[in-house]
Amino acid sequence: MSLPAFKLVRPRSLDEALEALLRYGPEAQIVAGGTDLIPSMKQRLFEPRVLLDVKGLGELNYIRFNPEAGLELGALATITEISESALIAREFPVLHQAAASIASPLLRNLGTLGGNLCLDTRCLYYNQSAFWRESLGGCLKKDGHICHVAPGGNFCWAAYSGDCAPALLALEATVQLAGPRGNREIPLAEFYVNDGMVRLRKAQDEILIGVRVPARNAGFEGIYQKLRIRKSIDYPLAGVAAVMRKDSGGICREARIALTAVNPAPRLLPKAEALIGKEFSAGLVDEIAHEAIRTAKPLTTSASSPEYRRRMIRIFVRRALEDLWLGRRPRDGGAKKDLLSN
Amino acid sequence: MSAGSIPNSPVGSRVPMVDSFEKVTGAGKYADDLVLPGTLVGKILHSPHAHARIRRLDASRAGQLPGVFAVVTGKETPVKYGILPIGHDERIFADDKVRYIGDNVAGVAAESAEIAEEALRRIRVEYEILPAHLDLEKSMRAESNLIHDGRPHNIEKEYHHHFGDVEAGFKAADLVRFDRFDCAEVTHAALEPHSTLASFDDDGKLTVWSSTQVPYYLMKTLAATLEMPEENVRVIKPLVGGGFGGKSEVIPLELAAAVLARKAGRPVKITYTREEVFYAHRGRPRTIVELKTGVRRDGRLTAVEGRVIQDGGAFCGYGPVTMLYSGQLLNALYDIPNVKYDGYRVLTNKPACGAMRGHGTVNVRYAFETHLDMIAAGLGIDPAEIRRRNLLKPPCVTINGLRILSYGYPECLERVAEASNWSEKRGKLPFGKGIGIAGSHYVSGAANPIIRSDQPHSTVNLELDGEGTATILTGASEIGQGSDTVQAQIVAHELGIALDRVKIVAADTARTPIDLGSYSSRVTFMAGNAALAAAREAKRQILNAAATYFDVPAERLVLEDGRIFEAGNRAKALPLAQAVLLAAKPETVLRATGSYSTPAEARGGKYKGAGVGPSPAYSYSAQVAEVSVDVETGQVTVERIYAAHDCGKAINPLTVEGQVEGSVWMGLGQALEEEMVWKNGRLMNAGLLEYRSASTLDSPEIRPILVESADPEGPLGAKEAGEGSLAAVIPAVANAIYDAVGVWMTTLPITPERILKALEEKQRRTGS
Amino acid sequence: MTKQKILLHVNRATQELEAAPNRLLLEALREDLGLTGTKCGCDDSSCGACTVLVNGRPAMSCLMLAASYQDAEITTIEGLAPGKTRLSELASLQRAFAECGGVQCGFCTPGLILTTCSLLEKTPHPTDAEINEALSGNLCRCTGYTQILESVRRAIELMEKESAGEVVRP
Repeated sequence: MSLPAFKLVRPRSLDEALEALLRYGPEAQIVAGGTDLIPSMKQRLFEPRVLLDVKGLGELNYIRFNPEAGLELGALATITEISESALIAREFPVLHQAAASIASPLLRNLGTLGGNLCLDTRCLYYNQSAFWRESLGGCLKKDGHICHVAPGGNFCWAAYSGDCAPALLALEATVQLAGPRGNREIPLAEFYVNDGMVRLRKAQDEILIGVRVPARNAGFEGIYQKLRIRKSIDYPLAGVAAVMRKDSGGICREARIALTAVNPAPRLLPKAEALIGKEFSAGLVDEIAHEAIRTAKPLTTSASSPEYRRRMIRIFVRRALEDLWLGRRPRDGGAKKDLLSN
Repeated sequence: MSAGSIPNSPVGSRVPMVDSFEKVTGAGKYADDLVLPGTLVGKILHSPHAHARIRRLDASRAGQLPGVFAVVTGKETPVKYGILPIGHDERIFADDKVRYIGDNVAGVAAESAEIAEEALRRIRVEYEILPAHLDLEKSMRAESNLIHDGRPHNIEKEYHHHFGDVEAGFKAADLVRFDRFDCAEVTHAALEPHSTLASFDDDGKLTVWSSTQVPYYLMKTLAATLEMPEENVRVIKPLVGGGFGGKSEVIPLELAAAVLARKAGRPVKITYTREEVFYAHRGRPRTIVELKTGVRRDGRLTAVEGRVIQDGGAFCGYGPVTMLYSGQLLNALYDIPNVKYDGYRVLTNKPACGAMRGHGTVNVRYAFETHLDMIAAGLGIDPAEIRRRNLLKPPCVTINGLRILSYGYPECLERVAEASNWSEKRGKLPFGKGIGIAGSHYVSGAANPIIRSDQPHSTVNLELDGEGTATILTGASEIGQGSDTVQAQIVAHELGIALDRVKIVAADTARTPIDLGSYSSRVTFMAGNAALAAAREAKRQILNAAATYFDVPAERLVLEDGRIFEAGNRAKALPLAQAVLLAAKPETVLRATGSYSTPAEARGGKYKGAGVGPSPAYSYSAQVAEVSVDVETGQVTVERIYAAHDCGKAINPLTVEGQVEGSVWMGLGQALEEEMVWKNGRLMNAGLLEYRSASTLDSPEIRPILVESADPEGPLGAKEAGEGSLAAVIPAVANAIYDAVGVWMTTLPITPERILKALEEKQRRTGS
Repeated sequence: MTKQKILLHVNRATQELEAAPNRLLLEALREDLGLTGTKCGCDDSSCGACTVLVNGRPAMSCLMLAASYQDAEITTIEGLAPGKTRLSELASLQRAFAECGGVQCGFCTPGLILTTCSLLEKTPHPTDAEINEALSGNLCRCTGYTQILESVRRAIELMEKESAGEVVRP
């Protein structure tokens, strides 16, 4: 299937890219790996007049760590590079697991961290061909006025379906944005808007250039659990990232849990704070797992039913906490066991 | 002479497919790889409505667009067609009504895809929307706004068979059990999207290159719908990237490309998008199966009553055949003395269903084999044992007229039980782990052709030249299953020559003799027998010529390793190439023909519908599945499948195992994850991202076990191998789930959500 | 849309073509360069039939703009065995796929062979789990993958023998 027509701009530096964004305004769209945008363009979900291909910005492709700045990831680091980084596997296992679980090796080779974080929200009524959507009359998010998932409402429930974001939320990452007004750095949690149409707090003329994970979060035990039907290719239908630091007595000193694919934005679980200062108790774990389904509000935007996805969120949270707290190997819930041992 | 007694024969060897060089190098051409000078891109306008009347259609603005060479609408395509003579209800483009979302309304041919798409946008269609029939059980009660004229209650076809006396059978039973099963609609999803290139020459003759399993039927349908003499239509099948039945009837794009090419005066190629492949469909229908079975305390079946309803979609297609297979093949696996069958093929406003691997048998077999395990559990009989107690005793003719000669099913059951260590595991694994057994079977070609005729089902011509090279001319359609290789092996075997001395020219209706196509697992049996007959005829001529040369009776001569000699005297040998020239004189090429027709005894009974089901031979399969079930998440992991398949004789064990593994794997997809999801007549997953075909990481180990029952009529004893194994794996998994966690799964696919629901119901029922 | 000159480095040769910026690498290979061994199996970048190697890594050419990959080394299936005419002349990997039944309809085969090629370059002795992981983005609808796994194992065996100096003939 062919792409709609566009003018291709391939900047060689960030400055050139920002300049182009300014020049073409809302008619321009950024593409890096293309794994999200290109199939959507084939479906005519996007028909930008200008496509800004940023792959040439070598300055945005890095994975580095130092004790002051922490882990720094360039927006153009590929998912493969992140999943194959021995440093990340050792110090930030939750991110390693999340990255290694994304789509398939073929897609990870092209897909970038920036693209994964800026992934468009997904819905069964939205990610369809132009013919299909036209036959239905469009939806709230594209070319229509009705939400087919929650008829009568004017809120878009399309689900954010990236895997890196929950891992990075759990690791307290910040994102760096470059724009004509200079650079800014904001917590990743503030980067997202829980609305399937608004999605990101990123101005049209800004470019996501990198991500930073504070050094203090290095070495946290972490688990990423993911619901999908196939163990490859599929987007998550629900995902849980959890990290924990406990002291020698088994007391939880720090813990964070984030959810993906069950809301229009990836969400940190506020109740995870209740774990701090506690020793393991099945009751407490159950309580947190139960709380998780208050945060997860999936609708019928994907293959599995909302009930099942919420149920799985609860099980994943409980299993992740048990495994982290009791020091067990993660169970098969998307993370690839054989890779973890490498 | 039996296979294997010939030294260096390729029969029985693990031979790479003869076309594998072109496939591993990318040099081979599939339909979409072909281009002719001036080829235009064809595109089809599809209906956005499930059921609507076309009030007005104005295509004039499309034709005015520069770069557009042809626009064709339903007005210009009046001839109706369909794969079955009793079901001519399709047109190239819709007449006055559209009947499903995706139905074909008009076609354009243009210089580029962009222009063609723009032209489609310029076609104005005014629809009057009609109520759509989307639920099969409601559709079969509908009174008005019916989908086709002459089909009351939207019932395409119904069959009612009764053999023996089921009521007497139920009376004689100690236990009578009733169960209902519901199987979701699935599709072939061959990796190659359908593609057709059509071109007319200056004399008005049409050549079509298409991704088809049935070049012969396509040629006939092209001639009929384009109103041309058959001799002016040539169909060539290039490499085909998988079929599984999805290319076994005429697909709209094949006719659309031809009709556009004629109007444009230039070659036209249409390649479906993946979404269009889903709308072309012809897959396995959603099926409701209700079974009532009587059984004696010792496990002997006394009667089976089956009621089957299939959601056929908007057109007839192969529907009546699917319906009949579903009923007829209740009989060929077990000895069932009384059988009643009521089958309903229902029309709905969805893409037409058709033949898919294991045509008609799969859903009923899943239901029956699961139902049989439920019965065994009720009687406290081992599931393997209840199957042993109901075996047929061939040679025999079943009560519905199926003649059974070779019957490797008992051996299949024994071999899988042994390989899986069945008796040590069944009922003895820890909670959450389970093992299950089931059987299946399939025809080795339909004994009766689709279009009634006395011509052979397969004919093969053989040409031998003075270099000692044999060229097979066959109409059989290689679609990845290895049919070219099998024919080459048979010929090489019979002529005592190396496989690389055999060339094959296949599936070109202008050059190759008639073969009905690749469907109903007929090719090894029928084209194989024709190839064998042709090779034997060639050999007879060669040995007769050599007999004159040696001046000994032909019976004393041996043909081996490309040489002919008198038995016991290898020293004095005549090279085959020379003997060929002697036999061919005064020509330089020796020609022989062989053909295959089914024997009258194998063609079934005389009642209505008796023609479908009979086959000259049946394959058998028994399988054991080992699964584990996560009772919290409902996720089922299939650990391993043992699959024993009776293929009569494995002419090529490599490709037979490939077919068995592929069938088992495809059945697993239907068992666990594949499903066409519909909402208000709209297919929610018309792509390979959402229609989930398993990846390497989802695919368990499959251990094939080949059973060779040596069918007396099969070529060198061979029977079907490419479909029969699909059905058994679904009930084997369902039965293993019962062994693991104690719930019966009666709805396909067996999703984690359904497992959890079943577990909850069980808990409510038993309190445990 | 105006066409522009695009230079692609495909199979160790530089190829020039004229194409619009929306030309996908898949389209450029198949339609402009006649390299039809690269297949199109889906439209949502989920099947892997269009896999090519980009600087040695497998990727789907249906996602790549031809104009954006002018600096990359592209390898297609045609680049693995240039000028060969018989199975016995092919490299171990391709031969193994034919000999072990890794090929049925052949439509996924170019992609699978290229992905395997990249795997074995990086990891000459992969475990079965590593093979399955590496191939998990290339769908096959025919084989059930059992004979594909066997083909890869066989290729490894053949390559070992070859590097040990043994002459291996089919």
